[in-house]
Amino acid sequence: MSATEPLGGAATKSRWRPSPRLAQFKRTWYFFRRNSLAMVGLGIILVIVAGAAYAAAQPYNWTAMTPYCATNFGPKSTMTSSGGYNVSTVSCSPYVCNYQTTLPTNYADFCGGHWYKEPYSGSLSKTYYSGAVPPTISFSTFQSGTMPFGSISASDTSLNDIYNLYTELLRGSDWSLIFSVSIVGSGALIGLLLGAVAGFWGGAIDEALMRIVDVFLSIPQILFIIVMVSVLLALAKTSQALEGPTTELSFLVLGFVLIWWPFYARLVRGQVLVVREQKYVEAARASGAGKGRILLKHIIPNSLYPVFIQFSLDVGTIPIIIGGLVYLHFPIFPNESPYFPEWGALSSLGVTGVGDYLRGCQLGSGCFIPWWQIIIPGVALFLYAISVNLLADGLRDALDPRLRR
Amino acid sequence: MRMSIYVIRRILIAPVVLVGVMTIVFTLTSFLPVTDKISTLASVGPNQKCPAIQPYCACTVFGSSQPGNCANPAYWRDYDKLGLNRPIPVQWAFYTYRAFTFQWGTVSNNSALVTDAEYGNFKDRPVTTMLGVLLPYTLELAMVSLLIILAVAIPLGNLAAVYRNRPVDQASRVMSFSGFALPSYLLGTLIVMGVTLALIGGHTLAVRTPWCPAPHPIITELQGSWPGQQWGCYTGKVLPSLHYPVWISQCGSLHNYPGLATCPTGFPTVDAVINGQYWLAFDSLLRLVLPALVIAFGAIAALLRFVRNSMLEVMNLDYIRTARAKGVPERTVVKRHAGRNSMNVTITVLGLTFAYFIGGFPVIESVFVLNGVGYGLALSIISPMDFGTVFGTTILFTYLVVAANIIVDVLYAYLDPRVRLG
Repeated sequence: MSATEPLGGAATKSRWRPSPRLAQFKRTWYFFRRNSLAMVGLGIILVIVAGAAYAAAQPYNWTAMTPYCATNFGPKSTMTSSGGYNVSTVSCSPYVCNYQTTLPTNYADFCGGHWYKEPYSGSLSKTYYSGAVPPTISFSTFQSGTMPFGSISASDTSLNDIYNLYTELLRGSDWSLIFSVSIVGSGALIGLLLGAVAGFWGGAIDEALMRIVDVFLSIPQILFIIVMVSVLLALAKTSQALEGPTTELSFLVLGFVLIWWPFYARLVRGQVLVVREQKYVEAARASGAGKGRILLKHIIPNSLYPVFIQFSLDVGTIPIIIGGLVYLHFPIFPNESPYFPEWGALSSLGVTGVGDYLRGCQLGSGCFIPWWQIIIPGVALFLYAISVNLLADGLRDALDPRLRR
Repeated sequence: MRMSIYVIRRILIAPVVLVGVMTIVFTLTSFLPVTDKISTLASVGPNQKCPAIQPYCACTVFGSSQPGNCANPAYWRDYDKLGLNRPIPVQWAFYTYRAFTFQWGTVSNNSALVTDAEYGNFKDRPVTTMLGVLLPYTLELAMVSLLIILAVAIPLGNLAAVYRNRPVDQASRVMSFSGFALPSYLLGTLIVMGVTLALIGGHTLAVRTPWCPAPHPIITELQGSWPGQQWGCYTGKVLPSLHYPVWISQCGSLHNYPGLATCPTGFPTVDAVINGQYWLAFDSLLRLVLPALVIAFGAIAALLRFVRNSMLEVMNLDYIRTARAKGVPERTVVKRHAGRNSMNVTITVLGLTFAYFIGGFPVIESVFVLNGVGYGLALSIISPMDFGTVFGTTILFTYLVVAANIIVDVLYAYLDPRVRLG
C-alpha cells in the first residue's frame, strides 16, 4: 500500500475521520488522478468552461451581431466567353447576401453564401438561392503572404474587427456549453425518470412507454429536429408574443430535447431491469423500504453508469448536429440576429465560406485557401467532444470499483 | 416453423410504429397555418390557373376587363378533401389514411427546390413522385456505405479485441473517438478540397477520361468523388446537363438529355449495367466511394467499440476455452467460434444506429452534390420551407428505419436461436 493511499491504516489510528462522503470523494479523486488521459480531458474542459464563463459575463447584444458578408470582400466571378472565370472584388451588402434569390443570366455572384450552379454556357442559366437567414463568410482574394490565422483578411485590418475567428470562438463557447449541456441534460433527466419508472413498475406503463420510445427512435434525429423546429418557427411567426430570439432558441432546444429523451429511457429501462433483480434491492425490500425509496435510493443510482457514458458521448454531438443544420442552411438563427457564434455553426460557416471562396477563386490566380476557417473551429469541436469523453471515461473507471486497476 | 411466425409477428408490429410517427407528424402539421397545411397534405396535381394553396386568386369578374378575386376551386376542393372543417380525430384518421396510401402532398411552388434547374421539374408534382426518382440514389449510397462499414468495423473490432491494448486497439480507439468528434460536413469538405487541390495541382486545366476523349477543364466542385459539371461527358459529347445523374431526368421523363436508353430499375449503376454501359456503371459507383467513406467513418465510430467489447466478452466464455483446449487453431477460434457470436451485438447496434446513420444523408449529399433524397430535403428546408417535402421525406426515412429494424431483428433471430425459440 503506497503512502498516498487514502484508505490507509493511518486514518483508522488517528482520532479524526473524514465523513464517509468525503472519504469516498478522496478515494475517487485518487483513482481519477492516476488516469493521465482523464486529467487531460479535465484540463481541456476547465479551459472551455473558463472561456464560457468569461463569455457569459460579457454583455450580449443581439442587434450588434454582424453578418460576415458585410463590406467589400465578396469575390465575384464573371464567366468569359472562353469558359474561364474572372474574379474581382465587388461590394456586396448584407442585404444582398441574405435576400438575393435570383441571378443575372451570365454571371455568378459569390456573395450568396450558398452553393449554387454556375451558368454553363450563358444560354442555360441557373438561378441560385441563398438561405434567407444564415450569414456567410466571404473572403477576399487572399495573397499567400503573412496571414494572421483567424482573421478574415491580411491586408485590410478593419475587416478583422468584423470577424475574428478566435473572438468568435470565445464568444461562442458559452453558447456551445449551454446548448449541449441543457439539451442532453434535460433529455437524460426525462429519459432517466421515465425509463426507471417503466423498468421498475413494468406492466402496462412499461409497454406504453416503450412503444412511444420505439416511435421516437424510428425517426432520424436530424429530421425530427428539422420538422419540429420548422413548425415551431412557423408558429413563432404567427404570434407577436412568441417572437424574439429567446423563444426561438428555446424552440430549438425543445426540438432537440423531444428527440433526445427516448434513447435514455430505453437505456435506463434496460439497466433497471437488471438492477431490480439484485440482492441488495431484495434486501431493501425485506427491510421494509417503500417503492419510492427503493427506486430513488437503490435503483436509480445504480443504473446511472450507462447514462453517464451516453451523456458524455452526446454532449460532443450537439454542436456537430447544430453545425449540420447550419450547413444545410436551415434557419435556426433567431430573426433579430442573423447569427450566433455557436461552435458547430462557426465550423459550418467556415466550411461553407471556404467552399464558396474556392469556387469563386480563379484557378492559377494565386488565391490562397483560408484553411484555418475550417481547421480551427474543427479542432475546437474535436477537443470539446474528446475531452468530455475522456473525462467521462476516467470518471467511470474511478467510480466503478470493478474497473479500478 | 417458428422462424416464419417470428418474422410475421415482427412485421405486424411495424404499422403500430408507423401510425405513431404519423400521429407525431399530424400533431406537428396542426400547428401550421392553413395554407401551409393544404400544400403539405393535399395530393393535388398541377394547377395552371392559380396555386392550389391560395384561397382566392385573380380572375375576371364582371366581364372580361375587370380583374378581381374569386374563390379558388382548387383550394376549397383541397380544404374539403383534407377534412379541415371536421373534428380533429377525423382529420387525424384522414391524415393517417393518406400517409399510408402515399398521398404525401405536393412539392411547394415557393420551395428552393423549384428554383433548382434539375429539381425544378418536380414543381407542383406529388412529393412521392420526386422521392421515387431520388430514392434509388440514396439507397445505392446507403448500400455502399453499409458495405464499407461492415467490411471495416467487424474485422477491426475483432482485431482490437484479440490484440487488446496493442497498437491496433489504440488505433481503433483513436478512430472511434475521431469519428464521434469530427463533423461529417467538415471531413467531407476537407476531402473535397484535397481532391480538388490534387487535381488542379500545377494548374493543368485539362483532363482526359477514357469515356470522353476531348480535354475538359476542371471545375472546383465535386459531385460524388468526381469533379462535376463539365465532366458530364458520357456519350462522347459534353452534355448540356451539369448534374451527375444525367438519367435522373431521363427516367423521370422530365428532360430529354441523352443518358441511358431505358431505365428499368431507377438505380443508376444497375441501369447502366443493364444497358451495357460499363464505364457509366463504374463511374457511378466511383462517385459513391468518397461520400460513402465519410458516412462510414462516422458510423464505424459508433460500431467499433461495441464490436470490440462484445468480442472481448465472448472470448472469455467457456466454449472458447474448450475450443482452444481441443487444439482448434487460434484463427479458427476467432473467426468461427467467437466471431459469429459477437455478430449478434454488431447487428443490434447497427439496427439501433440506423436512424442516426440515415439522418446523416442530407448533409453528405449536400457536401458531395449527390442528387438523392437528402439533397432534396436540404433544398426544401431553406426558407421558405417546403413543408410537403419535409414531412414526406420524414415519413419516407421512417419507413426505411422501420424496414431496417425488421431486417435486423430477423437477422438477429436467425443468428441467435434463443431469440426465436425463447
